[in-house]
Amino acid sequence: MAEAIKPLPGITSLTRPFWEAAKGGTLTVQRCAACGAFVWCPRPRCTECGADRLEWTPVSGRGTVYSFTVIRQITQRSGDGFAGEIPYVVAWIDLEEGPRLCSNVVGCPADAVAIGMAVEVIFEEGGKDLWLPKFRPR
Amino acid sequence: MSIKGKAAIVGCGETPVDRQGQKPGEPGRSTAQYLSWAARLALEDAGLTLRDFDGQGLAALYTANYGQPFWPEEAAEILGVSPGLLMAGGNGGASAVSVLGQAAAAIHAGLVDLVLCVAASAPLAEPHSGVSAEDTRDFELPYGMMGPNSRIALVMRRHMYEYGTSLDHLGKLAVTARYHASLNPGAYLKEPITLEDYKSSRLIADPIRLLDCVMPANGGKAFILASAERARSLPKRPVYLLGFSEKDNPSYGPRSHSDPLVMGVREAGERAFAMAGVAHGDIDFLALYDDYVIIVLMQIEDLGFCRKGDTRFFETTDFSFQGELPIQTGGGIINCGQPSTAGGMVHILEAVRQLRGEGGKRQVKDAKIGLVTGLGAVAYGKNLGCTAVAILGNET
Repeated sequence: MAEAIKPLPGITSLTRPFWEAAKGGTLTVQRCAACGAFVWCPRPRCTECGADRLEWTPVSGRGTVYSFTVIRQITQRSGDGFAGEIPYVVAWIDLEEGPRLCSNVVGCPADAVAIGMAVEVIFEEGGKDLWLPKFRPR
Repeated sequence: MSIKGKAAIVGCGETPVDRQGQKPGEPGRSTAQYLSWAARLALEDAGLTLRDFDGQGLAALYTANYGQPFWPEEAAEILGVSPGLLMAGGNGGASAVSVLGQAAAAIHAGLVDLVLCVAASAPLAEPHSGVSAEDTRDFELPYGMMGPNSRIALVMRRHMYEYGTSLDHLGKLAVTARYHASLNPGAYLKEPITLEDYKSSRLIADPIRLLDCVMPANGGKAFILASAERARSLPKRPVYLLGFSEKDNPSYGPRSHSDPLVMGVREAGERAFAMAGVAHGDIDFLALYDDYVIIVLMQIEDLGFCRKGDTRFFETTDFSFQGELPIQTGGGIINCGQPSTAGGMVHILEAVRQLRGEGGKRQVKDAKIGLVTGLGAVAYGKNLGCTAVAILGNET
């Protein structure tokens, strides 16, 4: 039986700049040059004002835990590759700049994670040439 | 010129649900078989035949596990009918309530006089071929997000943090729904549970527990909507659509970090109440889409039956069918099983039973008006992306 693999993102022309920056160790988010809004997830046009002037913008990588779940059971096939990591934390991270990212909190035990915890981005290799932004306590 | 009272549900069909097909070689029915079965039951209930639907409306709901891109046409082919209007539900679990409103609008506009709304799914007998990351899922699945369980877990933990919502508050709703299921011969999980059973059920995506979650099942469901005039010539007591609205892809605050603790039923509910011309005190029971228990609690808040975070309301209110605010009188989807998006029909069908006076041991006394919700598609970083509210009544 083939070893279960973790799903990797399908990289498109829209999302390539994000993953290229991540490979270089920089977290970027689209920002609208017209209205100044940060836009996340990646979109073709600004979801606040509709302008087509979204620019990939480096962000601080600092944020806080808005909420989190501790995964204790694999309940869908896309998650089979995570079986060996249970229990692990999936969290919503509020970046200082505003956008809320889904990611993992790593570098501490699952039971040490709390809402409001201050975190910072790190990059972990998720596949060939693919680096996933994750967060650790700061 | 609203659709208030212009269309009525005149027939209901619901197959038994099962969980067959999980073991290799175990026999199971196909989606097509459940679909056909549910439609036939609805036709019998309405006193109509399939031929009555040639040139009329057919609405079929897309399901999460059946990737047929032209599913409504396929459904017509499976049933052997040639519709004059083909409608699709593409709002996940909100689809059933959504097509109810859209079908009523089509009837009111004179396009058709009858609409058969049907949904079926056999996720255990016909499992889909796996999930690939795409679109916003590209930014969730690589982190081991486990689908709706873990997405709603994030909402639940934040709600508990902000408002002091406890397992006692949530458990009370779970116990009440199961009590109602124990009185419903059509429910799947009928064994009563205690608050302790809820609180000690195993953690799946902490804080989501087993008894927070809806259970996948195979099954099919259908209802038939007719113009009010046609409805009065058919055998069953008509159940009229009095109010309806949707709120889809809601955002509260900037879209990059919308408040996930507010649900779209807030606006959809306001508009449905306004169309129906009724007040909260006129509602005899709530039939709230329940993929998770926390979502039931949040809808009661966001529909305006209490203020946000009013934990005392949940401590003091009797939600049983004999209480001051009956909810989930048939046990809800959590106890009736979820055949993918067909699960969204559970509450419509239970509301019709209550409003016909067919609620048996769980009948709400003198029920005249019920509120039904449908919810679907948990959005990235948000709560449910599709919400629909319908107010049904047995008088216009």
